[in-house]
Amino acid sequence: MKDWTGELRLDLEERLGKTVAKNVYFQGALKVMRPVYHDDSGQVCYYILNPGGGYLDGDRYHLHIALEEQARVTLTTQSATKVYKTPQSYAYQETEIFLKAGSYLEYIPDPLIAYQHARYKQKNVIHMEKGATFLYSDIITPGWSPNGERFSYDKVQLINEIYMDDELISFDHIKLNPATQNIEALGFMEGFSHLGSMMVISEQMSPDLLDRLYHALNSKTNAYEIGLSLLPVKGFTLRVLANLTQTIEQLFTECHCMISEEWFQKRPSFLRKY
Amino acid sequence: MGIAMTDHTLSLFQLCDSNFPTGAFSHSYGLESYIQEDQVHDQATFSEWLHVYLNEQLVYADGLASHIIYEALENEDFQKVWKIDRMLTVQNLPRETREGTQRMGERMLNLVESLYDMPILLQYKKRIKEKQSFGHPAIVFTMIGHHLGVPQSTTTLYYLYSTVSSLVQNAVRAIPLGQTSGQKIIQEFQGILVAATEKIQNLDNEDFGIISPGLELSQMKHERVNIRIFMS
Repeated sequence: MKDWTGELRLDLEERLGKTVAKNVYFQGALKVMRPVYHDDSGQVCYYILNPGGGYLDGDRYHLHIALEEQARVTLTTQSATKVYKTPQSYAYQETEIFLKAGSYLEYIPDPLIAYQHARYKQKNVIHMEKGATFLYSDIITPGWSPNGERFSYDKVQLINEIYMDDELISFDHIKLNPATQNIEALGFMEGFSHLGSMMVISEQMSPDLLDRLYHALNSKTNAYEIGLSLLPVKGFTLRVLANLTQTIEQLFTECHCMISEEWFQKRPSFLRKY
Repeated sequence: MGIAMTDHTLSLFQLCDSNFPTGAFSHSYGLESYIQEDQVHDQATFSEWLHVYLNEQLVYADGLASHIIYEALENEDFQKVWKIDRMLTVQNLPRETREGTQRMGERMLNLVESLYDMPILLQYKKRIKEKQSFGHPAIVFTMIGHHLGVPQSTTTLYYLYSTVSSLVQNAVRAIPLGQTSGQKIIQEFQGILVAATEKIQNLDNEDFGIISPGLELSQMKHERVNIRIFMS
């Protein structure tokens, strides 16, 4: 289906040790800022922008990101994705990502904020070649509501499909339906309001690193709960239930730092937002 | 009045029996995490957990898979069967439940293979051996239901029943609950299972694999439980 509210296409390649754009295209309510090189590693950082300031009724967004061999990219957003009430039809975002062998993509968008009566569906489809590395996170948060309800949005649905060499290797499907579910109860959000998910796939992943991540992140606290588990391929999922965006972001940053230091001998760049 | 030998429902009952050795008695699917945290500690709290597990996880994974697989078998669309086998496995992000389910699928497959002469069982087994497929009890069960000519919704219902009844047995041992409480829950769930099966008939393929965050977290957390009676 065409008629996207916003479209973004980024094709990136490595040229003389530096990742550069081969093709950048955007139209409508999606755009990308000029590339930023945070250090001398050649890794490029792109900030995605939603000039409209939020996703509205029936909005449809499409992103296409492709990395050639050895390209190294950080992709983030300029600010949180805000979804407002969608009385007629849900807001939708579809992202297709293609990662060639040896490429590295860290895709760390700001949280999703779903306001009163918002309905949102997001589908990420990642096609990676063996030897590519993918690090992804998302955070679902409820927006402020006039009557103080903790979960005033109607539906948030996130689908992540990851293929490696054309075989499905991970399928993650979250559908939170506060309009019809007893969302605070056992088995659902269990008294928490924010849900964070991180997924990392890399040939360098090991059970030993998972254990170290667990010991670094897990603590006896009422502030959050974590779950950490290995995928059927080399990689893992981290889930966090918490009440604050910052709590989840801190855990994700710590996890990201450990991975980055272990695999790339560097600290991830601080992502400056204005 | 006679008992029709064309009705093979009794044969499918054999697979629902808690004595049918698939290893279901060693998996709690995260229930043990809740028991250790004392969030599930009696008949009422267990029933609440079971309700969520059935309606928010099982129907979207095993239940919907059973529905899709039965239809695929009707249409002899075997590629669809293998696709669902993969989807069921890779959507199961907690490692213990994923690997435990695979083992149960394999054990069930080995058992029914000695009971039924069906080419698809041999093919499934071969695919697992060659690492093209993974193995899942919902798929094996549905293959048998289809082979026996038991209608699709009945096959799905019996599969859900067998899962729920094993979980009740496990809860009776682990919480522990009295045998009478266990039977009361099984009785209470009869209507709930019928409703879940009806819900599955109306699901879209797009609903496949929806998980509930708390349940999944408890399944991941089980990996870190030190003293345990269940493998998941």
